Amino acid sequence: MTPEPNGASGSGATREEATVKVPAKDPKKKDEMKDDDLSDEDLALKQQLELYVERVQDADPGLQKVALESMRQEIRTSTSSMTSVPKPLKFLRPHYGTLKAYYETMGDSDLKKYLADVLSVLALTMSAEGERESLKYRLLGSEGDIGSWGHEYVRNLAGEIAQEYAKRQSEEAGIDDLTELVQQIVAFHMKHNAEPEAVDLLMEVEDLDLLIKHVDKTNFKRTCLYLTSAAKYIPGPDDLLVLDIAYMTDIKFEEYANALQIALFLDNLQYVKKVFTACDDVLRKKQFCYILGRQGITFELDEDMCADDEERYAMQDIINNAKLSEGYLALARDIEVMEPKSPEDIYKAHLLDGRASAGASVDSARQNLAATFVNAFVNAGFGQDKLMTVPSDSSTGGSSGNWLFKNKEHGKASAAASLGMILLWDVDSGLAQLDKYFHSNDNYVIAGALLGVGIVNCSVKNDCDPALALLADYVDKEDPFIRIGAIMGLGIAYAGAQNEQIREKLMPILTDTKTPLDVVAFTAISLGLIYVGSCNQDVAHAIIYALMDRSEAEFQDPLTKLLPLGLGLLFLGKQESVEATAEVSKTFNEKIRKYCDMTLLSFAYAGTGNVLKVQNLLGNCAQHLEKGENYQGPAVLGIAMVSMAEELGLDMAIRTLEHLLQYGEQNIRRSVPLALALLCLSNPKVNVMDTLSRLSHDTDAEVASAAIISLGLIGAGTNNARIAGMLRNLSSYYYKDATLLFCVRLAQGLVHLGKGLLTLNPYHSDRFLLSPVALAGLVTFLHACLEMKALVLGRYHIVLYFLVLAMQPRMLMTVDENLKPLSVPVRVGQAVDVVGQAGRPKTITGFQTHSTPVLLAAGDRAELATEKYIPLSPILEGFVILKENPDYQEES
Amino acid sequence: MLTVSVKWQKKVLEKVEVDTTQPPYVFKCQLFDLTGVPPERQKIMVKGGLLKDDADWTAIGVKQGQRLMMMGTADEIVKAPEKGPVFVEDLPEEEQVAAVGHTAGLLNLGNTCYMNSTVQCLHSVPELKSALLKYPSERRNEVDQTSHMLTAATRELFNELDKSVKAVAPMQFWMVLRKKYPQFGQMHNGYFMQQDAEECWTQLLYTLSQSLRGSSSGTSENADALKDVFGIELLSRVHCQESGEESSETESVYSLKCHISHEVNHMHEGLKHGLKSELEKASPALGRSAIFLKESRINALPRYLTVQFVRFFWKRESNQKAKILRKVDYPLELDVYDLCSEDLRKKLEAPRKLLRDEEGKKLGLKGKEKADSKDTDVKMTDAEGSSTASGESSKAATLSDGAPSDKEAQLTGVYELVSVLTHKGRSADSGHYVAWVKQENGKWIEFDDDSPIPQREEDIVKLSGGGDWHMAYICMYKARTVPM
Repeated sequence: MTPEPNGASGSGATREEATVKVPAKDPKKKDEMKDDDLSDEDLALKQQLELYVERVQDADPGLQKVALESMRQEIRTSTSSMTSVPKPLKFLRPHYGTLKAYYETMGDSDLKKYLADVLSVLALTMSAEGERESLKYRLLGSEGDIGSWGHEYVRNLAGEIAQEYAKRQSEEAGIDDLTELVQQIVAFHMKHNAEPEAVDLLMEVEDLDLLIKHVDKTNFKRTCLYLTSAAKYIPGPDDLLVLDIAYMTDIKFEEYANALQIALFLDNLQYVKKVFTACDDVLRKKQFCYILGRQGITFELDEDMCADDEERYAMQDIINNAKLSEGYLALARDIEVMEPKSPEDIYKAHLLDGRASAGASVDSARQNLAATFVNAFVNAGFGQDKLMTVPSDSSTGGSSGNWLFKNKEHGKASAAASLGMILLWDVDSGLAQLDKYFHSNDNYVIAGALLGVGIVNCSVKNDCDPALALLADYVDKEDPFIRIGAIMGLGIAYAGAQNEQIREKLMPILTDTKTPLDVVAFTAISLGLIYVGSCNQDVAHAIIYALMDRSEAEFQDPLTKLLPLGLGLLFLGKQESVEATAEVSKTFNEKIRKYCDMTLLSFAYAGTGNVLKVQNLLGNCAQHLEKGENYQGPAVLGIAMVSMAEELGLDMAIRTLEHLLQYGEQNIRRSVPLALALLCLSNPKVNVMDTLSRLSHDTDAEVASAAIISLGLIGAGTNNARIAGMLRNLSSYYYKDATLLFCVRLAQGLVHLGKGLLTLNPYHSDRFLLSPVALAGLVTFLHACLEMKALVLGRYHIVLYFLVLAMQPRMLMTVDENLKPLSVPVRVGQAVDVVGQAGRPKTITGFQTHSTPVLLAAGDRAELATEKYIPLSPILEGFVILKENPDYQEES
Repeated sequence: MLTVSVKWQKKVLEKVEVDTTQPPYVFKCQLFDLTGVPPERQKIMVKGGLLKDDADWTAIGVKQGQRLMMMGTADEIVKAPEKGPVFVEDLPEEEQVAAVGHTAGLLNLGNTCYMNSTVQCLHSVPELKSALLKYPSERRNEVDQTSHMLTAATRELFNELDKSVKAVAPMQFWMVLRKKYPQFGQMHNGYFMQQDAEECWTQLLYTLSQSLRGSSSGTSENADALKDVFGIELLSRVHCQESGEESSETESVYSLKCHISHEVNHMHEGLKHGLKSELEKASPALGRSAIFLKESRINALPRYLTVQFVRFFWKRESNQKAKILRKVDYPLELDVYDLCSEDLRKKLEAPRKLLRDEEGKKLGLKGKEKADSKDTDVKMTDAEGSSTASGESSKAATLSDGAPSDKEAQLTGVYELVSVLTHKGRSADSGHYVAWVKQENGKWIEFDDDSPIPQREEDIVKLSGGGDWHMAYICMYKARTVPM
């Protein structure tokens, strides 16, 4: 039908030749090239096209049609190459104007539409910026199959649609014609592995619902992955919408585990329920329970979710983390670190020469307290140690008593509570071991035992509610320290539980004017923890009341600053919901007003990555303080809290904090190390490590102590040799300064947290989910560190135990269908971001093969190295149930 | 009758009968039989709290087969030990000193590091301390007023250093020092000037020796207390090559000079240089002045041998004491045998042999131990130093108490390094002086004004110069003695 002298094969050859030549030369220059520089084939093609252009303008419609058809043919067959402007398009460029002019003169006809199509394609390269002529002619054209013009054309069109849409939105013009086109483009993209482009276009035109129609079994995974990752960068409330779509897609394709992750991210328990009811595989549901357990939320299964009583109890047990201790110990046995470690094993003083403490003859209460904490951190959860637990063969019970009484006054409380840390998650043995302290006649010991009960029950729930039963009676005792022990114990044991009974018990303490300030402060924190992220108005009012009730003098007390902290916890991550309370806080005494404001703001937007809030907080850091103001500490921490959500924001925040360090005043410099710690928990980034190491020698003792503790936090549970070395050197550098040495010891304990099996990072599941309880514990501790001298280094070192809320094993434990540990080979390597990548890219790099259980460091990802089993969770972290692969065939 | 299961520690007690008509105390007694936990120590958790002894079962609403949890042990109750531990934090300051393991630093009163480091070095000599203790508070006639005041101030300062943990401000001492030696009170731009530590050292020691002379017992036989401790007797042979005249003379000095020239790389060489000198004096034989060669030998050794590196020389063009930066090594253990006169050498023979034997024995013993314990390497050097040090300090104590008798301890000509005064900077009147002192427990402490910093022994010999780091200016060696 087309008079083409060279034939298809000939033109193909030309093109090949052309693409070889083209990249070497500047395209502009080529346009100016004389005809005789072209090869024979090109020349022929050029003349051919010129002929078509001429004929299109011919009076004879028949001739016109033939010319258009052939022109179209030429263009379509040539758009495959992406590296250069296709030949036909290039040769047609000079004629774009002519054709456009001629198009205007044409009468309405099919031919005019055909020409519009051709013009639309030509506009791809010719149209001036912002003219959107490609789209214009497309809409005027024949509306044929969009893909036939090639991928590049579609992409360009999508871009123009987005611009056009924005323009029409502002002009409030109709968009029906665009919608039709969008449908086509999305369908095209989704079919051709370009899900990100489809999602982008739909987000531009604000019609994401369309997506569901187009996802299918082959592309929903990539689509959902793109949606969930993109959600981090989308301003609210659109991000929720995006996640909603992802959730529905996952449910539609029965990818329930992913759906559950999104439901948890949205903190939508209704969605969680739906996942349970939608899924009918008991084993998979058990896997969901493990995920819920890791997230640390309180969730009750009912009969709709699991009809079988027996199974339901078993699953509830998983959610309640009843078997966490067992799994952790199995991991410890596998890695062979059960042998208890003493503080001296951690200090490694023998590696330091000369400077080791000379006078070991006299006990130092400070150093013994440090040893108590180090011992607790290092042996956390192992159930045995060398100081507190009695070796089973000695019946005297003396050794534990001895160490306990090597601590002074409030130190004894921490020592008794450390037993709870050592027996972490093991409620049965924990309570048995703590029992003997309940009968002590020393109030500090009793207080410690009460706190210990809370710690043992941390993140483990039990039907009998032993913590509540044991602690409730002590809340109203006479001695303030006993009360604090009981109240803090309740806060730790029931963090996130929103337990009504405890609320009724604790709220009156806040409103009672006779309560001492320290008890009020700890009550506020405990209530904040129990109702973390709940926006509970009753509790909020009680704390606000307590704050308003403080006398002028009490506002000077560092403990008062813990009240806004309790208030903030209630709104953790709840964004706008805080606004009403923030309004109320403006009426507070001016000494606390700004402090409260900053705290509420940073807590409400914690983990959201909201850049506007970061700017707001930064603005506050740039102010020069009036005398007596102190709100910049929480503001600096707030920057970290808000921007810890994702890697890019996190790196940006680290740089910002570096600047604050250089230009900020002393009170800012004191909080920067803590903010850095929050950003890199259990993730010792080298640059942060260096900054902190530098600050740890700062002339300002408070900066130095914050930096030292922060070094411990960034290395928490990593056994990082470099940090350990730094701290060892610091211990000799500060050997004379009891306070800083205490900090160094604490940091050393943290670095070897759980002998390197634990992490403090509140993010889990591939850094997607944020455990609110863990974050609450961490920020509570960090806020307390803002008043280091009065709290951590003073009487209230028990605040260190708030860290227990964030402690989780950093393991991958694979279990079989009966939930018994199952060792399989896995590859562990650095996680690779595969969002938006075509094909099936490798998800990890630089991997090593181990057999489970294995430890996962920050940024590590694991994948099964065997086909024999199928994991029931897409993310291999924590407990993962493996199902036998029915299609597996043993390799011979 | 209901049955419940009770979870206790890791065990589950199945099918425990509950008589709901009886108070829960009866139930607890049942559990006592099963577990051995006395009822008053049982904590049974039911929904909403603990089970009270007199509670009403119906109100609690126990169901058939319900699982209860019990806490409680029959363990001994933890009791506080009768005598609690004593904490450092509670101790009075003096007692904390012992725990710290070294004495206090001295505050810099404005360019007084030369004085601080001198005081710290001398403070480490127990013999000097005990001699000062015996110094009477009233001035005796033969001692002039300012000398007396300086001596008393030194005693007070040493006392204070021993007692405190925090840095001491040597206010009184400094004022008296300035009074006695006005050159230390030189001002420049309204500040006191940096001074030469060696000058301070010499002057202070001179004053002390003057005022302590004969003070300890008032008898003439022990006339010069400090001479025993620091004094070196030199026997010099002066001869003139031109005329062949020869004479000999003895003199007593408080320090040996280590001359630094281009050939000197080691202290020993410098000391030899220092003991040779040329002088011009009138020759009776020639009837005019001629060059005489003076060669000195040590004729009597002190218990503390002071070696001064002659690092500073007066540079006329810049009008200041310029410094020789040359690296001169010095040993931790110094043997001055070949610098001694013939007489002294003979006297030293026997003690030296004894010392060698003892050391040989020790090494043999250590060799045996090596097989048993792994860390002998550390022990070897350590134990050797400390055992002799401790042995000696106890001896030194007896020595300083009574008059030194030849029976008890004999000098061997072997000395070990106990303190180093270093200088950092380019001229004697500028830069910074620091004292590095070995403590009684064998550890080295760098006294940088108010902050004492522990140091390693191997770093001490690195102060030998050759750069801009601290370099030794005055070294003090302590004699190793053997009982005879």
